[in-house]
Parts: sequence; C-alpha cells; structure tokens
Amino acid sequence: MTTTSPNVGQTFETVGVGTSASRKSLGRLIIIAGTLLFAAVLLFQVLYAAGVSASGFASWRPVFYAYFLWAASVVLGQILIRGEQGQRAAFVLPAVFFTVALVIFPTAFGLYLAFTDWNLSGSVGRRFNGFDNIVALWNDPFYWNALRNMVYYGLAVFFEYAIAFGLAVLLNADIKAQRFFRIVFLLPFMLSPVAVSWMVGKSIMENRFGPAARLARLLGWDNPAFFTDPWIARLSIEVMDAWVFIPLIMILLLAGLQALPKDLLEAARVDGASPWQTFWRITFPLMLPVSITAILIRIIFKLKLADIVINVTSGGPGGATDTVSSFIYREYRDRSNVGYGTALAEFYLIAIVIFITIALLVTTRWVSRYSTARAVDRV
Amino acid sequence: MRIDVYQRLMAVQASRRKFLGGAAATAASVAALGSTGVLGTMSRALAQDSASLRAEILKIPGVGMGSPTDADWQKVGEMCLGPTKATVQEGEFAGVELTFMGLNNQNLHNFLFRGFLKPWEAYTGAKINWIDLAQADYNPRLQQSIATGTVDFDIIEMGAPFEGDTAGKGLLDEMPDWVKAQIDMDDYVNYLKAPVGTWDGKTYRITIDGDCHTFAYRTDYFGDGSISGMAAVPTTWDEVDAVSKAVKGQKDPLTGLDAYGFLDPLKGWGGFGFYFLEDRASAYVKHPDDKAWLFDPDTMKPRVNNPGWVQAIQDVMDLIAAGAYPPDQINADPGATGFQQFLAGTGSMLCWWGDIGSNARTSDTSVVGDVVGFSINPGAKKVYNAKAGAWEEPAEPNFAPNMAYLGWGVYVTNRVSGDEKKRKAAWSAAAHLGGKDISLWMAAYPSGFQPYRNSHFNYDEWETAGYDRAFIEDYLGSNADSYNHPNAAIEPRIPGIFQYYSVAEDELAKGFAGQYKSAQETADAIAAAWEKITDQIGRDSQVKLYKASLGM
Repeated sequence: MTTTSPNVGQTFETVGVGTSASRKSLGRLIIIAGTLLFAAVLLFQVLYAAGVSASGFASWRPVFYAYFLWAASVVLGQILIRGEQGQRAAFVLPAVFFTVALVIFPTAFGLYLAFTDWNLSGSVGRRFNGFDNIVALWNDPFYWNALRNMVYYGLAVFFEYAIAFGLAVLLNADIKAQRFFRIVFLLPFMLSPVAVSWMVGKSIMENRFGPAARLARLLGWDNPAFFTDPWIARLSIEVMDAWVFIPLIMILLLAGLQALPKDLLEAARVDGASPWQTFWRITFPLMLPVSITAILIRIIFKLKLADIVINVTSGGPGGATDTVSSFIYREYRDRSNVGYGTALAEFYLIAIVIFITIALLVTTRWVSRYSTARAVDRV
Repeated sequence: MRIDVYQRLMAVQASRRKFLGGAAATAASVAALGSTGVLGTMSRALAQDSASLRAEILKIPGVGMGSPTDADWQKVGEMCLGPTKATVQEGEFAGVELTFMGLNNQNLHNFLFRGFLKPWEAYTGAKINWIDLAQADYNPRLQQSIATGTVDFDIIEMGAPFEGDTAGKGLLDEMPDWVKAQIDMDDYVNYLKAPVGTWDGKTYRITIDGDCHTFAYRTDYFGDGSISGMAAVPTTWDEVDAVSKAVKGQKDPLTGLDAYGFLDPLKGWGGFGFYFLEDRASAYVKHPDDKAWLFDPDTMKPRVNNPGWVQAIQDVMDLIAAGAYPPDQINADPGATGFQQFLAGTGSMLCWWGDIGSNARTSDTSVVGDVVGFSINPGAKKVYNAKAGAWEEPAEPNFAPNMAYLGWGVYVTNRVSGDEKKRKAAWSAAAHLGGKDISLWMAAYPSGFQPYRNSHFNYDEWETAGYDRAFIEDYLGSNADSYNHPNAAIEPRIPGIFQYYSVAEDELAKGFAGQYKSAQETADAIAAAWEKITDQIGRDSQVKLYKASLGM
C-alpha cells in the first residue's frame, strides 16, 4: 500500500522528466570537478607528506575541506543528473560520506598502522614491520590476561540478564507508582561510568571512610578492601558496571514483555497454569528473541569496558581487573606505542566481529530449534 | 588579611612600582657601576624594596590562614609585576594570543598560573588560552602533539625529562638574554643549572620547581614510649621497614585510627609511580663512584634487575606479605597516598616531593602540621656496585636522594619564533611565572612546586612570614641537603623515559600481586620490557643521550 498521492508522484516525475541533458551535463561536470579537486589536493598533500614534493599544506585540513566539497559535489551532481532518484540519494549520501570519513577510513588506516613499528618517542618515524606486532601480541601475557578477564566479564552478563529480567517482570506487573519505579530503575543508565567510578569506586567503596566499607565493618569484615583481592576486585568492578547497564537490559526486556500477546497469558491462566508455569512455558520462550538481542547488545557494551577500570584500578591488582580496552589505553597512551597499540585494537575488533557473528548464527539456530521443540511439545 | 590592611599594602606597592619603572632604564648602569654614590643608594633601595615585597607576599594569605584562593594568586601576581613593567610597556602585547599547556593537579599548577598571569594580561594586553591536563594525561598529550606535528601551544609547563623529546627535536625557542637577567638564573641551586634546561649549549627552560623526594615522617611515632619503640627516627630502609612491622596492630597517636608505617604507593600513575620504587632502590644501587644507576651507559642494558634493585622490590614484597600497609594500598592512587593518607593522618612515613612540606601547615586538609618532620631519603647499609658486580658494605650507610623529575619548568615553543612580538610576549609571561620573588611565594604555599633557588633557603624570610623556625629549617633543610648531596640520583633526560617507567609499573603491579615467583623474576620482566623499548626508540641514540644527560 502506498500513501503517496498520484499527483505528488506525478510532480516528482515531472521533475525527473525535466532533468534535461544540459542539467545532466552540468551535474556530471560538478561531480568531475569536485572529484578532480579532491584528488589533486589529496595527491598534493600525500606527495608532500611522503617527502616526494617540497611544497604542501601545513596540515591536512585542506584535504578535509576538499573531501567535504567533493561530497557536496557528488550530492548536487546526483540531484541534477538523476532528478527524483538523486533527491532520494541526497538523503543517504551524506551519511555514506560521513561513515567513510569517520569509520571506514580510520579503520583502514588503523589496519595499516597495525603493521608498523611506531613509537612516538622513536628516533625514526613509522616503519613497516610486517607481522612483528601480531607475533608480539601472541606472546604478550598482558593481552591474554585481559582477554581472559573479558571472558569473566562476558559471563557475568548472564547474571545481569537474570536480574534485569526479574526487574522487568516486576515493572511489568500491575504495581503502584509503576512509572516512578521505571524512571528510578533507569537512572543508573543515565550516569556516566566515569562519574560512577568516582562516586562509587572511589567514594562509597573507599576503604577508610566509604559507606560501603563502614557497612562491611559493621557486618564483621575487619579491614574491608574492595580492590586488593583479585576476585573481589573483579567482582567490585563488575558490580559497578552491572549497576550502570542492567537498566539497559531491563528496558529492552520490558519493551518485549509489553509486546507479548495478552491472549496467550490469559489462556494459560484460564487453563490453570501456575505463575511459574506461565513464565517458564510461555513468557520465557516468547521472550527468547528479545532476550538474545538484549544479551548480545550488552556483551558488545561489555567488551568495550574500560572507563571504570581505568579510573578505579588501572587494571590492578596485578592485571586482575584489566580489560583489553584499558590495556590498549595504557599501551597506546602511557607508552606512546602507536603501532602495537593499534595492532591490539584491530585484532580485538576482528575477534569481536567474528565472535558476534558466530554468536548470532548459533543463537538464531538455537532459538529456531527451541521454538520448534516447544511447538511439538504443545501439540 | 583584612581588606584595609591589604589596600594599604597595595598603595605601598603602587609607589614601589613607579620607583621601579623609573629605575628600570638605569638598571644596567647600576650593575655596571657598582654600589657607589647615587646609584649605590638606588641599588640598596631596590634590594630593600625587594625584601619588603618578599615579606609582604608571604603574608598572603598568611601561614595558618587556610589554603590560598584565586584572589590571593592574583594579588601575588599583581605585586610581582615589577620586573615585567621594567621590560614591557603597558598594552605592548595588545592583540597577542598565547596558548599555555600545563597541569591541573590538585587544582594547582595552571590554576595558580591563571591567577598570577591575570594581572600580567591586564597590563600587557595579551590574552592567554589554557590547556589543562591531568598528570596522567600529560605525557601522551605531549608525545602525540610532537609525533603528529600538531604542537598547538606556545608556552608549556614541562619537566626536564621531556627535554630530549622537545628540545632534542628542535621544537623549543631559545631563551633571550633579557629573560635570563630578569629571572636571575644564577640563583638556581646547582643541580638545576646547565646542563639541565639546556640542549646543545642553548638555554630553553625557566625553572619554577626543584624536584627531589625527601623523607617525611611523623614525629609522634618516635621517641621514648612511642608506638614504634624506636627512640630515633629511622635513617635506613631496614629500620623503616622494621617500624612498619612494629606499629602494625597499634593505634595512631594523633587520629586514634589504625597505625601504619611507611606508605609505598603501589599503584601505577602513568609512569610517575615508578619514582617511589626508585626512592628505595637508589640507596641500594646508586654507587658514589658511578653516575649511572638505571642503565649501563655504554649499552643501555637495564640495571633494574641487578641485586640492588631486586632488594628494593623484595623489601616492598616483604611488607605486603607482612600486612604492613593500609587496606587497599595496592589500589591507592599515589596522589591519594600523599595528600589523603599521610597529610590526613594515615601512615607515619612517606617519600614525596616538597609539596608535602609546604602543604603540611598551609593546607586545609592537613592534620599533621605539628607532628611532621623531614630528612633526606633513607639510606642503605649495603650498596650494589654495578661495575664490580658485587655488594659493598660502606662504613656509613649509602645515601642517594632521588632527584625525581628534576622539577617543572616553563618553556616556549618555536611556534612563536617567527613573530617577535608574540615571542617577547611568551617569554615575558614565562618569566613572570619564573620570577625570583613570585617563586618564593610558590615555594611557601601550596602550589605543586618546591624550593629551587638558593634564595629560598633564607630561613629568616620564612620565620618572618609566620613559619615556625624549627619546622622550616627541618623542611627546607631536607630539600637543601638532597639537592646538594654528592651522591644524588639524577634522572636521565632521554626520550621516552616515562615509557620505561610505565611498563615497569605494569610489571611491578604483577609482582606485588604475587603473579611472579620472586622479586628477581619481576625485575627480569621489567628489564626485558625496557630492552624492547630501547630497541624500538633506537639504542644508539639512547646511549648517546643517556651519556649526555649524565655528563659523561
């Protein structure tokens, strides 16, 4: 079904028909001019940066301006050449150019850097070093320690999911002040993890005067220390991170619960199913697709965990709370090891993409089988 | 200070400024003709005026009057504008914009500079834009600017260890002669004179700080009947460690909370945390006959895994095993250890920069002002001779104060070199911050900086300002004794020095958490990581620069 009136469509068509040969030529000319200008400026600066040419710009900013002009010329040219089709493209093209500039180009450039030896304090600049960084990564115990920690943090997502599901069910129930509680439970997600690091990690959990430490003493823990024992430190970091992000899972699950068909739940109640049976045999299976989406989104967030760790423990004690991102942060920032730091980041990105792809394939297949099995069960 | 008193002071200051302005043109003649006749009278008048100014600025806000505020910094900046007015006309820098990059530690550093420079901006007409950085962000920000050719600051607050990264790469502007005269560089303590601040014979640095670590201790932990059981303050590391174990389980005589001994900051701090292991290690490894103590100067082979360094690491591991540190010490930020632990009454001994001394009696958060003492860093009863490859046991303990960081300085970058007006403005602003009189105030009050001029050790000035004579002799004496120590451990000004420190922090953290089997294994891991960094930066150039920094 379409909501576009024929007249409106005709108007666009008229514009399309009106794309005369001269306008098309003008469009092509604009695109060619923009492209040539960008290519020339880029080549000019690349040759200068490579030391081939003696003249060039003081910075890469003119290249950016040329790129912007090129993008504008392509958009304008498309409109002139393709009429309505071009106008439609104009909605998408800016996003494409933006993504190319800020995602694709940096990723590709990063991939190049990953194969270089580039220490900012080095007596010589960037040097191609083949697979040296990958070999170093393979033999780097700090990196593998951080990866192992990511497994622990990743597994904790399932506990976060269980808590979030409980809260979502609670907030979906017919309780008093439902809206108030929904907002209250969402508040931690609105806080910056950096603020949480200081408010919770450095203040509430401060071992001398922090309220959490005082409470722990009241409960009989003589010298409460939340970041000294490796497992307690990991748990403390996990608690802070979970506190921030459980509301995200909760809100996704709550949306899923509210979209469940009410007739199924009522039928179950009429048939005499207990609340637990209703949850386990109807709500939970129906929520599986939403659950998997929520868990995967949360795992992606979890794999980026860095801010709380950097602020509270710097990865300690002895790397017990280190994450891949916080380790890369030290390697790149504190040690100015740009080539190796970038190699770590690119390797991690590829590993995440592979992991998420496999996880999606496996879970999709599993949900499909589970649903089929439940259907057969019901029959 | 009451407002009417302050206004009277400002009136005095105004007349002094007029006098200085008139005298400026003849200042060179005064120096040339000596102190005879009319010029001699003027010279004496200037000296008296300077003494009066120094006495007055030390009263702002006054010892025991709480932490200084921005208004105080501006007052001090205004009162110390004399040298600027002698070299710069009012409004001379109108339209000039400068960018200043520095730190925001403890709400000091750049915060002070802003206050000090506000009257300078009002007088000269220049405008300063500020880049504030946390301590841990400083090194990466600087390195990235250098490596990517995006130095976006005209003036930078920088430590001497970074001179290899900046001056060595031609990024700094050479100091004009008029600045050298204005800031009286001859007044610097000896270890901060050339080659520190210079590169290839050219001077680049206006010193505003003189860094070294000294030993701060609580006097109420020692003496007859004290909880440590020691009559005298420990002077060697084995005695320090014995105290740490002895006071475990007892109560602090000042706060009533649990008592603790020495506070080793055990957590990384963007590389700066390694200085605290150096405090212990320098006593064991800095041999009086050998200037080098971190690397072998001929090969850059790390010495960090020799028996002396291993002993220092072992000492810390033993204290961790004995439970001698406060809970969560392994996760305490070093800054918190100095300012939120020691000054707040947790722990009884600490090695730190001089600002513990200047804060002890002037900071609102300090409770130990009346029970704090100072000396040079503890020594060791044995010292490892790296050249001979053997321990030695000298008749007297081996002391080797750690000249950690060599102090902050203000440098001007070559961004201003092509514009004489901007260049003069940048150097004038830097010289204002590094002036002789303003430096006294920075040494006396919480500023992040410690004494660095011979004139800072005039105890009479401090006593007049309201400091207790015994306290100030103790505090300043520990600095002076460290600066002038014949076996001081001097930091090498080589590129990437903080990379070495940073990776050492990571390995030490593993060692302190028990992930390495021994102190030796921990030290070996640090040495291996340091070798990689040296190879990456360039061994030959590092050898050359390391030798140069040691004066070899």
